[in-house]
Amino acid sequence: MDIIILFLLFFIALAMWRGAPRWLVLTCWFGTLLLMIGLFRFHVTSSLGLSF
Amino acid sequence: MKAMLPRLVFWCINLWIVAYTAVIGISLLLQFVGGELPCPLCMLQRYAMILSTLGAVWIIRQAQRGVLTWDRYEQDLGLATLGAFLGAVFASRQIMLHILPGDQGYGGAVLGLHLYSWAFVTFCVVILFTALLGIMAPAALPEAPDKNSMGDRLSSVIGLAFLAIVAINAVMIVFLEGFNWVLPDNPTGYALFGH
Repeated sequence: MDIIILFLLFFIALAMWRGAPRWLVLTCWFGTLLLMIGLFRFHVTSSLGLSF
Repeated sequence: MKAMLPRLVFWCINLWIVAYTAVIGISLLLQFVGGELPCPLCMLQRYAMILSTLGAVWIIRQAQRGVLTWDRYEQDLGLATLGAFLGAVFASRQIMLHILPGDQGYGGAVLGLHLYSWAFVTFCVVILFTALLGIMAPAALPEAPDKNSMGDRLSSVIGLAFLAIVAINAVMIVFLEGFNWVLPDNPTGYALFGH
């Protein structure tokens, strides 16, 4: 998953650099954001024993 | 002063790219030289730094091409803010993991704070910065220097340095993750080499 996210980030950076269509950059950006949230949810396996 | 503001904003956004390129570069240095392997949450914070900075890179590239408009500028600032907010959430989770008295934290400390605490500070700074840029937006749409001028080239070099640091991370993660689907909670070596 980390490999996919980082290669997507690199692809987005290249797409921005080369002036790719805006819809493509935005779609990839939000896709990566969702993947990151999914990965975070995967790694967060328990609630912390803290009281606020 | 009002006439200088668009140019000043252009260079401030460049400075933001330089700062995050340096931060990610230092974390790579600590990883390769200091042997501090990043945990999954550390990597997520790096991704958020990159995701946020992409908004800045896009603004600069569009300004250089002369196609930056108000709506695009505001939208790209929004992307950067959202990326920084996500990073702040990741960093605060890691801070909470180690907040109890007696906990030594994950990895070494720099100037008294662990790297994830510094990451949280940088995300807050970016959110504040993008808020300020948004407030100033009506008077300060970034304006790039003339094509092929020294300033234009310097700005391109800054963008390319950021691209290079993302590429280095992309290659590094292949070695760190190997053929696994996700990173282990406490990595002890590079999975591609069988650790």
